[in-house]
Amino acid sequence: MSYKFLAIPCCILFFALISCGGNNEDQKNQESIESVDSSVTTNSDLSSNDREVSYTLPSALQIAYVFKKSGAMFIPNLLNNKAKASHYNTSNFKRGANFGIYSSDLAYCLFNKKYQESKEYLKACKDMGSFLGLNQAFESENLTQRFDKNIASEDSVIKIVSNIQLKTDVMFEQNKQNYIPVIAFAGAWTESMYIAFEVYSKNKNKKVLISLMEQLILSRTIIKALKVYEEKDAEIPALITAIEKINSEFNNIASVKSAMEKDEEMDFSVMPVTDSELKPIAESIKSLRASIVD
Amino acid sequence: MKKIITPLFSIPLVVSLMAFQRGDVLCNAKELKDKAKATLEPYKYDSSELTRILYKNKETIKEIEVPLFIGEKYRIIFELEALPKQVEVQIYNKSKESKNRKLLFSSKDKGAAKEFEFEVSKSRQVYIDYVIPPSEEGSYSGCAVFMVGYK
Repeated sequence: MSYKFLAIPCCILFFALISCGGNNEDQKNQESIESVDSSVTTNSDLSSNDREVSYTLPSALQIAYVFKKSGAMFIPNLLNNKAKASHYNTSNFKRGANFGIYSSDLAYCLFNKKYQESKEYLKACKDMGSFLGLNQAFESENLTQRFDKNIASEDSVIKIVSNIQLKTDVMFEQNKQNYIPVIAFAGAWTESMYIAFEVYSKNKNKKVLISLMEQLILSRTIIKALKVYEEKDAEIPALITAIEKINSEFNNIASVKSAMEKDEEMDFSVMPVTDSELKPIAESIKSLRASIVD
Repeated sequence: MKKIITPLFSIPLVVSLMAFQRGDVLCNAKELKDKAKATLEPYKYDSSELTRILYKNKETIKEIEVPLFIGEKYRIIFELEALPKQVEVQIYNKSKESKNRKLLFSSKDKGAAKEFEFEVSKSRQVYIDYVIPPSEEGSYSGCAVFMVGYK
């Protein structure tokens, strides 16, 4: 009996097993795999004591929830046109950013108890999701049917949308597309900021202003998270530049600048902010949003 | 015939071994996140992160910056059962560059628990540090998951 046929797998097995020992080259390889796979992990922050820093971002639902708690009113014509979903099926950047825009619109409708509109924006999210390979997230456990069934119960519907969010997060992870949720959040944040500025310009509600300022702080984390994936998509650098501009305008608000210089915790309920300081930020947000949705 | 069949069998074998070597088989994101989600209730899911932990021959730290909204109540769940060796979880109020950095939580008090939670409010961000102990047996890996929920 000849055992020659076993030679090839045995050799391969041998080399595979000895490589399990973890030599330096393996460690280097493993690190490079990690930096690609791990959610928003950056090597640029590695210091001599082997510390890596990564970033997480909140959900579109939560930023809308915080905004709603400020008493912001619902203005339907601020929402992006839900019929444009297929128009954005051109690149992963466009799909991701507009998935975020529609997620934000869906959350804005939900927290304002606009259930019919919520249903329509859920469909827009589902359409964008299908272009990104997220069908399973929307179709598993009859999430969309459960949404329809519970449409009159805010708490149930919010839980269903939170579940969809979790499933899409897992799917992006499984599909090795960890950069897309960061682009999507940048889109969601832009839409939320756009709505917040428009609502504030209508009634100058101080609570809306506080919520708006709280959300502006997030620009720093979004920039750091996007920079990790700068080379993943050719359109990311321009997005970083646009958000850096907004962040710089925010930092130029006199009271913000002063708090930063003194390393003080910012309390926007007492910090003065003028309309002239807000105007350039509102314009930059508007222009960024237009570049995503047009 | 054997010449064709043998390489066909060897390819999946090598692929599985390489996957095991990278630690991928230890990281079932869905299963870990589903477990964390069950503990998160009644808080609403906000975000989560699966971190691949690589043990080296010296202590290393993986820090995750988590932005929060001031005044909101949060619950953070840690799911560490896919780690071959316990890591210490530390939560700070500020980044390592800040002079006012304070330790808010350490999993040292939790012993060998593979799952625990932390609640926070009145904070604009927290910094989660996984303190990865050195490993004498050579490098191996595992996964840690945390999940943030709000009330």
